[in-house]
Amino acid sequence: MRPDDQEPLLPTGARGRSILRGTRGAVLGLVAAIAFAACSAGAPASASIPPDATGSLAPITTATPSVSPSATPTPAPSAAYPLTVTDDEGGTVALAAEPRRIVSLTPATTEIAFALGAGDRVVATTDFDDYPPAATTLPHVASYTGVDVEKIVGLNADLVIAGGNGFNPPEAVARLRSLGIPVLVVYARDVAGVLADIELVGRVIGKAAEARAMTDRMRAGIDAIAAATSALDHPRTFYELDATKEIYGPADDSFVAEMVRLAGGDPITTGSPTVFSIPLEKLVAADPQVIVLGDAAYGTTAKDVAARPGWGRMTAVRTGAIRPVNDLVITRPGPRLVEGLRDLALAIHPDASIPPVQ
Amino acid sequence: MATRSEPVAAARVRAVRLETGRGRPALLFGGALGLLLVALVLGVGLGSVAVAPADTLAILARRLLGAPIAQTWPASTETIVLDLRLPRVLAAMTVGLGLAVAGATFQGLLRNPLADPYVLGTASGAALGAAIAVLIPIRVLVLEFGLLHGLAFAGALLSIAVVYRLSRTATLAPLTSLLLTGYAVGSLLAAGLAMAMYLSGANLRQIFAFLLGGFEGASWIRVAVALPIILGGSLAIGLRARALNGLLLGEETAAHLGVDVRRERAILIALASLVTAAAVAIAGLIGFVGLVVPHVVRLAVGPNARLVLPLSALLGASLMVGADIVARLLGEVPVGVVTAVIGAPFFLFVLRSARSGYEL
Repeated sequence: MRPDDQEPLLPTGARGRSILRGTRGAVLGLVAAIAFAACSAGAPASASIPPDATGSLAPITTATPSVSPSATPTPAPSAAYPLTVTDDEGGTVALAAEPRRIVSLTPATTEIAFALGAGDRVVATTDFDDYPPAATTLPHVASYTGVDVEKIVGLNADLVIAGGNGFNPPEAVARLRSLGIPVLVVYARDVAGVLADIELVGRVIGKAAEARAMTDRMRAGIDAIAAATSALDHPRTFYELDATKEIYGPADDSFVAEMVRLAGGDPITTGSPTVFSIPLEKLVAADPQVIVLGDAAYGTTAKDVAARPGWGRMTAVRTGAIRPVNDLVITRPGPRLVEGLRDLALAIHPDASIPPVQ
Repeated sequence: MATRSEPVAAARVRAVRLETGRGRPALLFGGALGLLLVALVLGVGLGSVAVAPADTLAILARRLLGAPIAQTWPASTETIVLDLRLPRVLAAMTVGLGLAVAGATFQGLLRNPLADPYVLGTASGAALGAAIAVLIPIRVLVLEFGLLHGLAFAGALLSIAVVYRLSRTATLAPLTSLLLTGYAVGSLLAAGLAMAMYLSGANLRQIFAFLLGGFEGASWIRVAVALPIILGGSLAIGLRARALNGLLLGEETAAHLGVDVRRERAILIALASLVTAAAVAIAGLIGFVGLVVPHVVRLAVGPNARLVLPLSALLGASLMVGADIVARLLGEVPVGVVTAVIGAPFFLFVLRSARSGYEL
């Protein structure tokens, strides 16, 4: 059942997709599709950005008060243990000492730990991990079907970093905590949330200063890209998450919609903050000028899109503005987000000069 | 006088014939107990972390029996054996036992070989309850039970209560009415479930996990709460085996045997539903065990409830532990998938290889 390491390791949602393809059951299809939408952190959320975490990102926000519980980015210059923090879902995480045996249950947090220089302390990851290469050879303790609590206990983990909003089963998180293993649950609702999570993870693993430096760099990179695209025309852009059965795109105010906006596009969303499917009629009426293929990694091509019945009338199809992207870099809430944003900006504005990522 | 006692005498004859079991019950009970022991040992011994059998036995002997054995294993091994595997095996046994007994009860009660613990709408009720719990953004935890478990339990019981009430007002024969009402109410609840799933967004996976069932969340406290309900309910059903035998022969025959048909049926439905609800609350919806196990037992010993109930309990417990072991070794596949994948072909095999005339 465990997927072998040769097959391109997919995020949770992508595994869901394979279920979608493998069954006719409506329920399973629904499950797969929504799990797919959820995996990329593009879950329903308001577009609010905690002001203290973002500063420079303020222009893109709709001015609503901060709701993110993760907005506590005031780490001490050097993390002092014992340390107690509150995670993104309100859990209290207490650490007596710097964690030496870290288990990461999401690809994004794995990337964060490695990018902050704590990769040598990560002892296990998930079936979905694909980056950096060193992370993929570690034991896998999480898959689409769940979390292997027994293996985590057997590895003597002293910190588990899990994904919130149901990415990892809350049941497993509760079980680990009841066994005395600290679990940090992270869930980024938006770009500012990703930066806040990097700082939160940094604090907890004893890399607070590194995390701060990283988010400063990322903020500058995001600002530079947003500045380069803000003066351009913002084409109506549809970011396709999946269209094998129903058409899935970003919900209103979701993470992907925010990325499209930052990249200089006018995102076509589903019209609801909780629904990730969009009827073809609605998409035709919205008339995308650019279609970004977030599902390119699963074999969808511009040719496929043009051949779909009813799609031919869309401006993007008539002008050939259908562009594949690497969805993993764009939607994964980790340190490569700025690269993803740049890729997305180039997909929307192929001829613009977008500053390279530092 | 003779006209009145004739049917009673005939009923007695049928009852005696029913209760004269085939096969060798003692041998079967011994075998079933042995199977349960094997399941227990394998369930505690196997998992994703390799633990030496000697260590497993030493840990169990030291902590459960107080044997004076020096600890030569890491503390994590002890946690794995005592806090993860043992409660999980016990939870699987309890749930398997409960579902098999409830399945046997519903099959006899409804005189329908397709009946299972979920036939009267309990599954849809529990699933809808769980889905609603997932939609409600409140996290409560009482004795390690969350809103999901509570509402699943309540949903199962509520749906059966509604089905029972509605079925009594119908003009159909009671059994037909029960089955059809159960089907109708179940369909309505399933529609509600589909709606809840549609609305659940990112939380859909939690509902999905419940629908397929599993023992990942098993802990000592959960076992301690569910075990008395399931075991107590199953024992109470077992004590009513005579009534169940009577009902199996038909209402008229049962009445001639002195069984208060309406009352006994209501009590048995209530008990089987209670057992089902508790099982579903801690393990989600696990199919096939409740349907298949009683049939397999009947193929071996005939329809006598006095034998079918206890043997189903033992076999259901063993099979559920077995299915959970497979689920664990495959990397936490939902147990419901395992029971279906193994259960259906196994059942076909048993049906095809059955020699004598099989009757419910």
